Amino acid sequence: MQSIANKACIVGVGHTEYSKDSGRSELKLATEAIGTAIADAGLSPVDIDGITKYTMDNNDPIDIARNLGIPRLRFFGEVAYGGGGGPCGTILMAAMAVATGQAKAVVAFRAMNERSGRGTARFGQAPTDESVTGVKSYMSPYGLFSPAQMVALAARRHMHLYGTESKHFGEIAVACRHHANMNPDAMMYGRPMTIEDHQASRMIADPLHLLDCCLETDGGAAVVITTPDRARDLKHVPVHIASAGLGGGAWNHLHILKDVEAPHTESTVIADHLFGDAGITQADIDVLFVYDHFTPLVMMAIEDYGFCKRGEGKDFVGNGRLRWPDGELPLNTSGGNLSHGYMHGMQNNIEAVRQLRGTARCQVKDADFAFIAAGNAVPTSAMILRRDGA
Amino acid sequence: MSTPDVKSVLAFPYPVPEVGAEDYWQAANDERLVMQKCDACAKLRFTPAPICTHCGDDQFTWAELSGKGKIITWTVITHPIHPAAVAKVPYVVVVVELDEQPGLRMVSNLIDAEVGEDGSAPTITFYAAVSVAFEPHPSGQKLPMFRLV
Repeated sequence: MQSIANKACIVGVGHTEYSKDSGRSELKLATEAIGTAIADAGLSPVDIDGITKYTMDNNDPIDIARNLGIPRLRFFGEVAYGGGGGPCGTILMAAMAVATGQAKAVVAFRAMNERSGRGTARFGQAPTDESVTGVKSYMSPYGLFSPAQMVALAARRHMHLYGTESKHFGEIAVACRHHANMNPDAMMYGRPMTIEDHQASRMIADPLHLLDCCLETDGGAAVVITTPDRARDLKHVPVHIASAGLGGGAWNHLHILKDVEAPHTESTVIADHLFGDAGITQADIDVLFVYDHFTPLVMMAIEDYGFCKRGEGKDFVGNGRLRWPDGELPLNTSGGNLSHGYMHGMQNNIEAVRQLRGTARCQVKDADFAFIAAGNAVPTSAMILRRDGA
Repeated sequence: MSTPDVKSVLAFPYPVPEVGAEDYWQAANDERLVMQKCDACAKLRFTPAPICTHCGDDQFTWAELSGKGKIITWTVITHPIHPAAVAKVPYVVVVVELDEQPGLRMVSNLIDAEVGEDGSAPTITFYAAVSVAFEPHPSGQKLPMFRLV
């Protein structure tokens, strides 16, 4: 079967600072991040002829093209489901465009003023519309609004079925914070966290503590994708897209109200082919990036992508396994959504590229393969990146 | 989209039935819990859907349920993120599996349960039996909620 494996590369990365209030427009954030990524690739805007975006991103590709000086846009597209489809789906779409000759070089980006609310509504607050319809009408009238509240229901179920405890979820938060404290660009730099801090943090929706939940952030982040042939002539050693996929299914019709017992999930749909397409197994992954909107969902993703069996996540995340430099499988080495900045997973893509270029702050020794999962409990996306020469 | 003054919003949003769901909400007003039962395979489905999620047939009959079920999971919400939640916390959101069919689940509130300000809820347990009760929303729409049996 044909796949996208090894037909495209990431050749440039760029981002703004991540903050609580950027003080500028979402279009400005997007153009800054994309401009930086294009320059990082050693290209100029005239070399770019495609843009892929998250459907929920407010920026219009044509506005970006006009402001950046991209004269001819031969490809544009968007991927749905927020932090699920967006992070790796926009890169998969870009890879397909360059691999099929629809475009020569494509940028995938995310830019938002999600924390300040200057353009994008905060996800951690409920809308105050008087009425709701459709799927929300079976949740909102009961005071079930936010992703955190919905994830709490799934987390408690996981705890019941598998004996998982809050402190196990805390291991994930502590690992991400550990890495953020080695990253001066991280929003939580200089703010160390222990398991005790996690356990003492206030309850948001029992059993979810504040420190189980990701940040809210203003900022922009972007990557540039082209073919392996073109990548050879550019500034950096290319990072290859070893495989990528989108996954969804009929089981989570109540959106992120996750059915913990479902035999197949959006993640297993992708896992079924992702490793085979890349010609490797989970054991070959050197550094792990899992979209950390909420710690229980990170554990469920680790299980569903086959790094351990379902229900074994509580033991898998322990003993410092997820912490650089001594851990066997460092997680989100720049701090992730939880402690670096909530750039809807695009910050994890950038960090994964740095790991495989060998330029990360928490550099995993001899890293050949990075695994990246986007947000689960919604239709999602994932990819495996490969170091050039590996 | 309306943008009401936040301070004036003292209730959670009320449901506006989507096309095909009118009978569900009307039945709630009549204090009956109904769901669509497929005429072809006799499976119940929820939330309301135009075709059977089990067999694909589009013919169905609204069937009245016993309103009895068990608690699959719950959360005690202590942190208000909606203006109307300020006066309601702590409140309990439950997922209930209805007795009529394995996997037939709905989101609701568990009412009259003992809940502490810290979110403790000693009387709520997995698979505890619950029974439906219809509670009016300030809009006049009644909502199916549940009590421990």
